[in-house]
Amino acid sequence: MKRFLVVIALALLALCGCQRGSDRNAGRPRIALVLKTLNNPFFIDMQRGAEEAATRLGVDLIVQAAEREIDVDKQLQIVENLIQSKIDAICITPSGSREIVPAVVKANQAHIPVVIVDTRVDAATLKEAGGVIAAFIGSDNFEGGKLAGEFIVKALGGKGSVAILEGIPGHETGDSRLRGFHSVVDGQTGLKIVASQPANWERDQGFNVFQNILQSHPDLKAVFACSDLMALGAVEAIRAAKRDNIIVVGFDAFSEAQDAVKAGTMHATIAQSPSTMGALAVENALHALRGEPLQENIQVNIKLVTKENAS
Amino acid sequence: MRHIRKSFPGLVALDDVDFDLRKSEVHVLLGENGAGKSTLVKILGGAYQKDAGEITLDDRKVDIKNPRHAHQAGIAFIHQEFNLIPHLSVGENILLGREPMKIGAIIDQTAIFREAEKALRDLLVDIDVRQPIYELSVAQQQIVEVAKALSLEARILIMDEPTSALTEYEIQSLFATIRKLKQRGVGIIYISHRLDELFEIGDRVTVLRDGKYVGTRDVSSISKPELIRMMVDRPVGEHFPKQTADRGEEILRVEGVGIRGVLKDISFSVYRGEVLGIAGLMGSGRTTLARTLFGLEKPDTGKMYVKGRLCEIRSPRAAIASGIGFLTEDRKTQGLVLGLSVIANMCLPSIDKISKLGIVSQTEERRLSEKFVRDLHIKTPALTQKVIYLSGGNQQKVVLSKWLCRQADIFIFDEPTRGIDVGAKEEIYHLMNRLTANGVAILMISSEMPEVLGMSDRILVMHQGKIGAEFRAREATQEQILRCALGE
Amino acid sequence: MGAEFRISRNRQIGTLSGLLGLCGVLWILSPYFLTVSNLLNIAEQTSIIAVVAAGMTFVIITAGIDLSVGSLLAFSGVVMASSLAAGRSIPLALTIGLLVGLACGIGNGVLISIGRLPPFIATLGMMSIARGAALLFTQGRPISGFSETFRSIATTDVLRVPFPVIVMIAVYVISHLILTRTKLGRYAYAIGGNETTAYLSGVNVRLYKTAVYGLSGMCSALAAVLLTARLNSAQPIAGINYELDAIAAVVIGGTSLMGGEGTVSGTLIGALIIGVLRNGLNLLAVSSFIQQIVIGSVIVTAVLLDTFFKRRKK
Repeated sequence: MKRFLVVIALALLALCGCQRGSDRNAGRPRIALVLKTLNNPFFIDMQRGAEEAATRLGVDLIVQAAEREIDVDKQLQIVENLIQSKIDAICITPSGSREIVPAVVKANQAHIPVVIVDTRVDAATLKEAGGVIAAFIGSDNFEGGKLAGEFIVKALGGKGSVAILEGIPGHETGDSRLRGFHSVVDGQTGLKIVASQPANWERDQGFNVFQNILQSHPDLKAVFACSDLMALGAVEAIRAAKRDNIIVVGFDAFSEAQDAVKAGTMHATIAQSPSTMGALAVENALHALRGEPLQENIQVNIKLVTKENAS
Repeated sequence: MRHIRKSFPGLVALDDVDFDLRKSEVHVLLGENGAGKSTLVKILGGAYQKDAGEITLDDRKVDIKNPRHAHQAGIAFIHQEFNLIPHLSVGENILLGREPMKIGAIIDQTAIFREAEKALRDLLVDIDVRQPIYELSVAQQQIVEVAKALSLEARILIMDEPTSALTEYEIQSLFATIRKLKQRGVGIIYISHRLDELFEIGDRVTVLRDGKYVGTRDVSSISKPELIRMMVDRPVGEHFPKQTADRGEEILRVEGVGIRGVLKDISFSVYRGEVLGIAGLMGSGRTTLARTLFGLEKPDTGKMYVKGRLCEIRSPRAAIASGIGFLTEDRKTQGLVLGLSVIANMCLPSIDKISKLGIVSQTEERRLSEKFVRDLHIKTPALTQKVIYLSGGNQQKVVLSKWLCRQADIFIFDEPTRGIDVGAKEEIYHLMNRLTANGVAILMISSEMPEVLGMSDRILVMHQGKIGAEFRAREATQEQILRCALGE
Repeated sequence: MGAEFRISRNRQIGTLSGLLGLCGVLWILSPYFLTVSNLLNIAEQTSIIAVVAAGMTFVIITAGIDLSVGSLLAFSGVVMASSLAAGRSIPLALTIGLLVGLACGIGNGVLISIGRLPPFIATLGMMSIARGAALLFTQGRPISGFSETFRSIATTDVLRVPFPVIVMIAVYVISHLILTRTKLGRYAYAIGGNETTAYLSGVNVRLYKTAVYGLSGMCSALAAVLLTARLNSAQPIAGINYELDAIAAVVIGGTSLMGGEGTVSGTLIGALIIGVLRNGLNLLAVSSFIQQIVIGSVIVTAVLLDTFFKRRKK
């Protein structure tokens, strides 16, 4: 009992001695980039682009991420903690288009501008919660999905069975890519989508899931993976099954994927420019801080990368 | 072995014991439970270290530090529960620990089987060395153990209760093997309770009693009654504070209870206010009987009546609900939760009774615990002291309080004073008197003959799962009881 | 009152000092740490794992373990969410969620007490089954978009204290009372301390073991409510690896994995230590990889110290 009182006394003392939080650093602006994960070369490229821009613009960049892309709560916690540390602006690549909205709202309440990168926040949920974002920077994923679909249609001559490896369900990027892909492929009578499974953006899951798909569809002709990591996993699965004439299309075009396309193990990928996205994020966050006008929706170009134009 | 002394905490197991073994002889080691036979041979086998005394082998002093030493000295030990690995083959077991190796680290399987076959051939038995142990019968397993000893080139073989699991025919077979071993000059130490076997196979016999050496005789020059007297002849003067209480109504009746292979046709009654002692040697089924009464073993036949009503006691909860309390043989692992406090242990069986709607009344808990700590003079610094820190005697008192707290009417004590110092023993006897004075019935299982005679009103002697005889404590003698326990 | 079940005084003071020491260090390193809003922030972030860990404490006291808590959180969460989405009232949906957690927990308990499966195996299986059930139930997609009232579970403040923190405190107070004052509590300690003795003393071991796992399941379900309200979304992939954090909290808090001793207050301190660490490392902008190493080291150190003190006592 006595011990408990001691604890309470200490706690009260601590609370009284609080409020040591100093004013915001008059000096370099502090901008945070909260990524889905650092386990993905796509986001590492984004980090690099952001860091370059930060150095160029005289900004302190803090990069944080959860361990896995599925951990939305962890991202939420990171944002909350950043708010506590009186960050000036936050750029986020949301791990959950709807789930991240509470974080946006909290940042709004602390008067911290929020820039969303790569994956959109769900507009309806945001509106309902009364949240506001300064800008969105990303690729047109729908368009990217279309490009992938068109490539496969051409490569298969309009006939054959196709599989899809999805990202994390509910992620707006993955959903848009899927919709883009479907918009092209669904109309084709000769093509049939025989399997569409999530592999949670992860490489080893891409391997496992695709291996199972191959088992049950031995005459598969092509696969569209919504991200390169999953595509590379599928490539390994194809090699393990000793197959070789399956068209593999990924999305992201980071360097390992480009190498694979050059080597012929992958056949196409959609290039986003993650480093450009990162740089733009930091630039626009700075604009928002300074109260300068911003474009709300900044599209970063995408293009189809094939053997011909792989770099 | 000369002047061997060995103590364990709270107990002197061997006190100045002498023993010697000649070549080509079968020397039987005889004594009651706890007389010290196992301890003596375990010292020889390297499992225990003696505290004092010396051991000489061929006139040379030896110090046997561990079983490996014993093996090297030519001593082999066949335990009652065999030391065989069931899933390995006969050959591998025989050469366990001494496997012949091929280059480097590879075990030479062919050599193993060859050596093993040689050992078995010497015994003139026909067992396939490649067979796994679990496929063999008990008698065959025993032969494997003997072969193991032989291949160790043992000159001294210790056999602990070798015939307890064998049929008549197999026993004869074993004796033939033993005679063969004698011919080869092996000396055999043979521990057994079976007096008939002793006379058949033994050359000499040594009797131990309460850790002390009583005497050694030639088997040809002694009779059974004399042996029995040697085993139990204690100085008169041990008295027990027994107070006979008025015998009340019958509180427990057991009719025809049996468990196949273990208990046969057990029938008896216990009355309020009396102590029913249950004597018998190890393996006679006493603890199984107690467990059956407490719902831990399911009888194949028989009925049980508690307070006149037919009961089917299938679990400890049912037994406790009928008013039975069980002080187990091993209080540390079965009677107490060592990591919990005195108060927690004492009230454990009674929690149901002192709680309402699932909430335990802490005032009741404290009140009851304080009462029993006071009444039973339990020495503990606080009610919240963990029981692991109490002495053996006080621990036993806590266990006793458990059942007193639950207001049990029938107490089953299994070796109630084992491992407890003299002072605490006295206190427990006094407590037993108080219990019986209050109309409680006590079934007391004990291997300490004086205790059985001193504290019981009636005594049941069990032998090989049956009730051998019933005595009135006042009229019985130690010899009578032992004779009965031995099956004479 | 319940004093006899406390872990040794030294141990508890040790854990508490660890927490306060950690806070002290962070106070020096970061000006943002010791503000009221940050501390409340930490409490809120910790609340979900803390609630799970409360149930886990009971299980570990009985010398068992529950690896399925994360999956049960996800499964009960999505069932509750679908009830809400189908228009059921909030109290009803919450009850359904809690019942799902309770039922799965009892499933664990039955496998363990009657089926005699080792707790590790039984809950490992349930972990997989419940996760699959959650994914199946939702076809892999999260269920989101709940009413303002529901979301207010996470967003309301009572006297500046976030509601989830109040729920956490309530859970711990109730758990403490259960452990120290009720039959369930007494029997849990007895079963964990020596199951044989408990059985021989007339404890209905099967019933109480099952009850304890049911309790753990319910705690997971309650945590699901908090998480769903916080994210405004019930994900079938929620709660992955939560069992590790929960077990870590219990162990750091001084409860022995061998069973028979432990307190929930210790678990709360353990959970807070983890929460403070995470928060502090974020504030200091330490990379998340290092965070993982630090947290793992804390667990190991806590248990090492525990064993060290126990050995010294002997």
